[in-house]
Amino acid sequence: MESHEGAAAARDCVLDFSRLSLNTFNADNISGDRKSDTRQLFLNYNRLSSLPSSVSLFYNLEILDISNNGLTDLCEGITRLTKLKTLLAKNNRLDEFSLPKDFGSLQLEVLNFSGNRFEEIPLQCTKLMRLQSLSIGGNRLKSIPAEIEYLTSLEMLYLGGNLISDIPPELAHLPYLTYLVLCDNRIQSVPPQLARLHSLRSLSLHNNLLTYLPREILSLVHLEELSLRGNPLVVRFVKEMIYDPPSLLELAGRTIKSRNIPYCPYDMPYNLVRYLDLASKCPNPKCAGVYFDSCVRQIKFIDFCGKYRLPLMHYLCSPECTSPCSSNPQSDAESEEENSVPADRLQRVLLG
Amino acid sequence: MEQTEVMKPETLDELIAVLHKIFESDCINVEEVQNIMESYESKPHEWMKYAKFDQFRYTRNLVDEGNEKFNLMILCWGEGHGSSIHDHANSHCFMKLLQGQLKETLFDWPDRKSHGNMVQKSQRILQESKVAYINDSIGLHRVENVSHTECAVSLHLYSPPFETCQTFDQRTGHKNTVKMTFWSKYGEKTPFTTVSQENN
Repeated sequence: MESHEGAAAARDCVLDFSRLSLNTFNADNISGDRKSDTRQLFLNYNRLSSLPSSVSLFYNLEILDISNNGLTDLCEGITRLTKLKTLLAKNNRLDEFSLPKDFGSLQLEVLNFSGNRFEEIPLQCTKLMRLQSLSIGGNRLKSIPAEIEYLTSLEMLYLGGNLISDIPPELAHLPYLTYLVLCDNRIQSVPPQLARLHSLRSLSLHNNLLTYLPREILSLVHLEELSLRGNPLVVRFVKEMIYDPPSLLELAGRTIKSRNIPYCPYDMPYNLVRYLDLASKCPNPKCAGVYFDSCVRQIKFIDFCGKYRLPLMHYLCSPECTSPCSSNPQSDAESEEENSVPADRLQRVLLG
Repeated sequence: MEQTEVMKPETLDELIAVLHKIFESDCINVEEVQNIMESYESKPHEWMKYAKFDQFRYTRNLVDEGNEKFNLMILCWGEGHGSSIHDHANSHCFMKLLQGQLKETLFDWPDRKSHGNMVQKSQRILQESKVAYINDSIGLHRVENVSHTECAVSLHLYSPPFETCQTFDQRTGHKNTVKMTFWSKYGEKTPFTTVSQENN
């Protein structure tokens, strides 16, 4: 069925060509005036396999909805829509090769590519400086590029339903991110750097492969929603602490550092001097120890608003490094500062 | 069993009127209510004013207070939004899909023996226009919009109305009483909602 003069009134600046079983979109019958008046163009739920370049003639367009078609790529003409703020292209056949080279020059604020075939977030998308909301849910994404940090205006990021196994720490550089959806992926761990997302209000992590969370997550003071159901979260105390025994080199290094044994660069080969410089202080504030490569990963359970026990990962310099009053590993009332998480923090833990 | 003779409700207002009549009696015929709700063909322009979405979680929007015999409300589920496992405070619960699909997972009440982990009994996808029914004797359920591309809108009837229910942690069976709140009433956003404490 060929296109015709749309159903909407001209004063609404809306042209609604949705659900018309269109195989093609021919804008020839639309007057130049009408084209320049149009602010919203709906072409969703049709049978378009390509978007004709004539869409660029609607040069004042702000909202374009081309969802639910059979689009395999976006024409270069779309980059000439300099006023386009919202592009909805859900449920098509787009992938990372479908976007025109200069796609990143658009002034988009809202972009929805959910239900397509992206295996990667294309780099052009990371150049959209004004982007506030990005949805690429239900695709085939294997990872999130570090370049995501360039989207400095981003407030909403929906990446649920993909094949993502890791979260890049660069994600934490997004200063305005309030809603982060990573559910239904293959994520095994959450980088502690995410605790820098001070604006985060909602974090969706359900149906992943998490066994614990980093303790830093408690510093997300504005977090109101956290969904964790469908993760193999550790429930009972892990009796065997995960610990690779330190090498002799490490043990020697620790002794030198913790006992302040004096040495000078001429006392030993240069590589050992450099090694000693790499000592890290134990993260346990109550411990004065150091470690080099080997530390203990221990899961502690934080009693959470009197309701749930969240398994949080702690790093310690050695198995002996624990808080003084807890000698019984079964006790979950540790005398650490996290134990008294105020009930108004992390109010709604969506553990399911 | 005798059923009230009613015509198929053509509009949402007609449905509400029929429901008022049915619920005048204290005896509820579950099948009758299910059939009436199922026979209403969803017309978005009739309920759009109640369908207010929130970015972060699903919303409950009161449509009718049912002469204190029932509450009728519309729930709006964004992509990926889901509820906790919850009970229904000894009330009947009917749920009709107005738009999109919802996944319902059924659970038994946790008992002392099971020591935690609640195992699902069954699961189904509720299709548009279908009506599901549950009450506490049937069990507990979790409702989710598992779509990453589509929103869902559902029409819920609870009789008698209730303001608190229990939510359950699937990993431990631990339960928690929560107060339920409305995002909007009769099409108007409620001022300053303390977001529902429902742990999902």
